[in-house]
Amino acid sequence: MKKLLVLGLISLFLMAADCHKEDVDPNDNSITLTFKGKYDTEPLVMFADEYSYEEGMNVKFQLFQFYISKIELVQNNNAGVEKVTPLSDVELVSFKGIVDPAEAQQGISFTYKDLPDGTFSHIRFGLGLTPELNATNPSDYTPPHPLDDHYWSAALGYVFTKIEGNVDFDGDGEYTNEGKITFHAGKDNLYKEVSFPIDWDIEDGHVGPINFVVDLKKVLSNGPTDFLDFRDITQDHTNNPEVYETISNRLKTALRLE
Amino acid sequence: MKFYWITILAVLFFVAGCKDDDGPMDCTDCPDQDIIVGPYEPVSYSLEIPEWINAQPIIPTDNALTVDGIELGRHLFYDPILSSDSTQACASCHIQEKAFTDGLNVSKGVLGMTGRRSSMSIVNMAYNNDGFFWDGRAESLEAQALLPVEDHLELNESWENVVEKLRRHPDYPQLFRKAFGLEKKSEITKELAVKAIAQFERTLLSFDSKYDQVVWRNDGEFTEEEEMGKSLFFFEQSQLVNHPGCSHCHNNGDRFFTNNKYFNNGIEDVDDLTAFPDYGRGEVTNSVYDNGKFRAPSLRNIELTAPYMHDGRFQTLEEVIAHYMSGGHGVENEDSNIKMFPLTEDEQAAMIAFLKTLTDEQFIQNPAFSNPFE
Repeated sequence: MKKLLVLGLISLFLMAADCHKEDVDPNDNSITLTFKGKYDTEPLVMFADEYSYEEGMNVKFQLFQFYISKIELVQNNNAGVEKVTPLSDVELVSFKGIVDPAEAQQGISFTYKDLPDGTFSHIRFGLGLTPELNATNPSDYTPPHPLDDHYWSAALGYVFTKIEGNVDFDGDGEYTNEGKITFHAGKDNLYKEVSFPIDWDIEDGHVGPINFVVDLKKVLSNGPTDFLDFRDITQDHTNNPEVYETISNRLKTALRLE
Repeated sequence: MKFYWITILAVLFFVAGCKDDDGPMDCTDCPDQDIIVGPYEPVSYSLEIPEWINAQPIIPTDNALTVDGIELGRHLFYDPILSSDSTQACASCHIQEKAFTDGLNVSKGVLGMTGRRSSMSIVNMAYNNDGFFWDGRAESLEAQALLPVEDHLELNESWENVVEKLRRHPDYPQLFRKAFGLEKKSEITKELAVKAIAQFERTLLSFDSKYDQVVWRNDGEFTEEEEMGKSLFFFEQSQLVNHPGCSHCHNNGDRFFTNNKYFNNGIEDVDDLTAFPDYGRGEVTNSVYDNGKFRAPSLRNIELTAPYMHDGRFQTLEEVIAHYMSGGHGVENEDSNIKMFPLTEDEQAAMIAFLKTLTDEQFIQNPAFSNPFE
């Protein structure tokens, strides 16, 4: 009788183990990319938080967003041949809705499923839109879609990066109409590919997240002697190459893996 | 015996007579007065959209446009049966000659009750992808059409009553059958009523203004003044003016003249974000940073839709432009694009001349959009 009971228990255990195994779909690999905004060492929070800028200026932000496109995971074999797994054509990384530190800590996430097993050496994507995507327009997309907005019909293209906010020029706590800043950059030659090493094995389910940090201060300033001086310029909508190219170039350096 | 067979045959004929000609019908459980007879021959309706619009209208899969659905919606839109005292219809606040606005600062409901906000123009709603009303609280046209009926400051009626009135009406059961194939009056619901209204509203397209003719059809040309106004309106790409331009928000591929987003456009001078007299978008999102934000309305037919803003505070386009030139009040969530800019009197006049090229006479005279009871 005892033997029978033990046998029964073993059978039950094996059945349960088998059921558990079935719950895991070996092809259900997923990966999450998370973008966290920072301003220097502080979490990037829209509206409420005030940040120290250069020359005694303070700034509050209302919007920081940028497109990423052609997002891919890359495998390299021994012969150096790439095998590319596309994750997404395009995403809009927008910190518009981040209005408290907890949300800032959580960041903006994108999850991709049904990935193949494999060892991936790096992840890469473009900052901005590929020329092919930039040649489309919102009417090509059914909302909600990252490309259903932020289009400049006059320029026949999208705004790749937007930075908007208010500047207190002398740090006295007064924010005036003169201190409103809007920097919008977007044109084909501002598209820049970036690549980050990850060296990850993906198999048997969820992997990640891959956390990116983007430092808005680094987008605006390269130090006390090389910064976008809001006392001289509060707006550029891809008019002045010195401004929009600087913003686009610095965005690349402001982005890093956490 | 003969009488017996005649009786049986009579009963059989009676039962057969209960059947609807257009489909099988079990009448054993429904009283005769509940049955709607008549044809149901749905004909799908294609919106007349110029090729240059190059955008797909948003039409829910469960509410495809049909000729009879639109006609029912048009009747409901113009019928005061939707109000508690049978004095007001949707059309009371959305008058065709005024591009479906009402000319009031804020709309008036039944018994003259004063509403909270100005009536919005119903134009090109089939392309609105970001909520309805000034604050975007309704996700679809169908959801939007549900609300004014039971709003005490608008039609002040219950849907229960409306549905009962529609079921008892001499004509509506037939119209509902034509539109949706109903077999019984008891199948008339508020959901079907708002579907029909939404169908009608999706047909209210305005793409035949002077702007459209000149820019998209190469038919005619702007005056010198209108041309100057156009270049000021779209001056986002200009290096000469330190301002993003009206088109920054009132644009969408130069076709819709709105991006359907929500902004604090600087009209309110308040001490903090909780001091707005109307929270607008903030009421919907519960984010204090959305307080005082309202939808950027389409500027199509703007000449006809005075007074302006969600509370109708500006009576003229001159006042509107003067506001934007003044650059707002610097409130914390005021849009960064609201900034002071100078325009000469001639430039202001030119801007208004350009805005008037967005008036679409066909839209306000189209008999298909007019009151079917007149």
